[in-house]
Amino acid sequence: MGHYLRICYHVIKTEVLEVPGRVIAAMFVIALLAMPLFISQPYVLRILTLTAIFAIYATSWDVLAGFTGQVNLGHALFFGVAAYAGAKLNLSMGLPPWATIPLGGVVAVVVGLIAAMPALRLRGFYLSLVTMALPIILTGVIYIFPSFTGGELGLYGIDRLSNSVVFNYYLTTVIMLVSVYIMYKYTDSESKLIRTGIILHAIREDEITARASGINSTRYKIMAFAVSGFFAGIAGGLYGHYMKIVGPSTLDLFFSFQAILWTIFGGMTTIYGAVAGVYILYPLVEFIRVLPHGEDVRFIFFSGILILTLLFMPEGLTTWVRDKIEIKCPRCKLVNVVTRRNCRACRAPLHLEKDQLGQ
Amino acid sequence: MEDVILEIEGLSKSFGGLQAVSDVSFSIGRNEIVGLIGPNGAGKSTTIRLISGILKPSSGTVRFKGKNITDKPVWDIVNMGLASTFQVVKPFRQLPVAANVMVACLCPRAKRHGEWVKTVELRARDALEFAGIADLALEPASVLSHGDLKRLELARAIATEPELLLLDEPFGGLNPAETSMIARSLKRLHKGGRFGRLHSEGPAMLIVEHKLADLMPILDRVVVINFGRILAVGTPEEIVNNPAVIEAYLGKEVGNLVSGS
Repeated sequence: MGHYLRICYHVIKTEVLEVPGRVIAAMFVIALLAMPLFISQPYVLRILTLTAIFAIYATSWDVLAGFTGQVNLGHALFFGVAAYAGAKLNLSMGLPPWATIPLGGVVAVVVGLIAAMPALRLRGFYLSLVTMALPIILTGVIYIFPSFTGGELGLYGIDRLSNSVVFNYYLTTVIMLVSVYIMYKYTDSESKLIRTGIILHAIREDEITARASGINSTRYKIMAFAVSGFFAGIAGGLYGHYMKIVGPSTLDLFFSFQAILWTIFGGMTTIYGAVAGVYILYPLVEFIRVLPHGEDVRFIFFSGILILTLLFMPEGLTTWVRDKIEIKCPRCKLVNVVTRRNCRACRAPLHLEKDQLGQ
Repeated sequence: MEDVILEIEGLSKSFGGLQAVSDVSFSIGRNEIVGLIGPNGAGKSTTIRLISGILKPSSGTVRFKGKNITDKPVWDIVNMGLASTFQVVKPFRQLPVAANVMVACLCPRAKRHGEWVKTVELRARDALEFAGIADLALEPASVLSHGDLKRLELARAIATEPELLLLDEPFGGLNPAETSMIARSLKRLHKGGRFGRLHSEGPAMLIVEHKLADLMPILDRVVVINFGRILAVGTPEEIVNNPAVIEAYLGKEVGNLVSGS
């Protein structure tokens, strides 16, 4: 037992505490899990619960757009379809939330694939335009069949996740952490656990070379589409059960764009960037709302932050911060703190030019 | 020859009004290294691309191991055991050199036929060592010189464990010493001595190349193409003494040089 504790301590000391990015991630997770101990206002916990749900949603957009280059402008399709499917399953068949949320995700993937099968033949702008049209069409369909979909009012009376505010918070946060971890591993090109990340990177870089390497690129793209849609669906299902009402606003065009804005603010193609973007922007905008005139200025504020981000940190906030605090060893490509003089693994000098100038 | 691995019949391809390849037919045996030579613009690269499935022919069939592969997608052809390299290299520039080869090591065929005791990283390292760029494994592919990119392309192709290897100018951008080193490595690979150990059998090869002095010694047979048509087929000795080939491509002095070496 003591032996394993010592191994744990060693791993934490050498692999976590030496890399600032991992320290920040660990602190973030601990802070999230400890939050209800210090904050008891239900309003704050409610905002943080919704933030966790939107973090899953924004991250799933990053999987698709950042890693396969399929810029989906209608990502709310997955979110809305899963929310509606979960609500319908819950209301008419009486299934509990733990069944309706994953089933909603599956339904979202199926509907997304049926709708997008013809679209996946397209590339670039054309694919984006088609994906943007899909949730708009679905909104129209919802208005046409009000007896089945609830029309403008939506479906209400859905079972809540649980009766406890704190338990809701923990449930969504833990699901968010697990989902983000899976998506991170799924897209990580250095992962030894799941090898998909490196193939997705390769397909994004050059699809023809990837095909000449024997990779069925179409299959991997559809798989990424399905993974992205499934997690967006999980977020949609959680949202429906948390809000207890699902309306056409879940398919809103602005809601699709919000995933893009959050992710671009945090940094695309990083997964953690999307999480950071949601956890900074969403609570901030909600906080401005309670200030005097907040309701009017919050979107001006939102746009202002985005414009400033794109001007000064074109690759997003997390990428900018990462480049300030981390440096890659020129010899072994391991990540180090920027303050170190030598690499923690191979002892190669990290700041070669600076050292030479000093001599 | 008794054991044919690739059969091409009446292969034609036109780009608009330009007839790039017309009615090309030849076959490659399982134990052969075949050279495909000809002047610039003769249709050599197009032929290679037609065989590997990157381009689809206007007419004609390609049969690999007895199966018609003319209409199959590129990845299926690679997974049947026919790998090819590009003349203009297109690596995954942001990924490390080792990761470039690992992608090929992850294709279904390499998973089935590769040395199962080795991890993907080790197999990629093996292929890089064969091509002679194992020391650059961690660098991103964008920092490599053109010659090293050519070697990376070769490593990526052999990482898919091919039975037939199509090489489009593998010596392009290499200096004379490197050229003869790669030529000898290819011969060794063909004999089954890949990475210094004896495999059951090495891949057959079809090589497009202009550096004939290094290429001719390792070839079993040469196919000469001119204006998209086959000009001559034969052993290297027959080809360098063939008056039509000397007229169209080699030229008198070069012909003497090749036959002299």
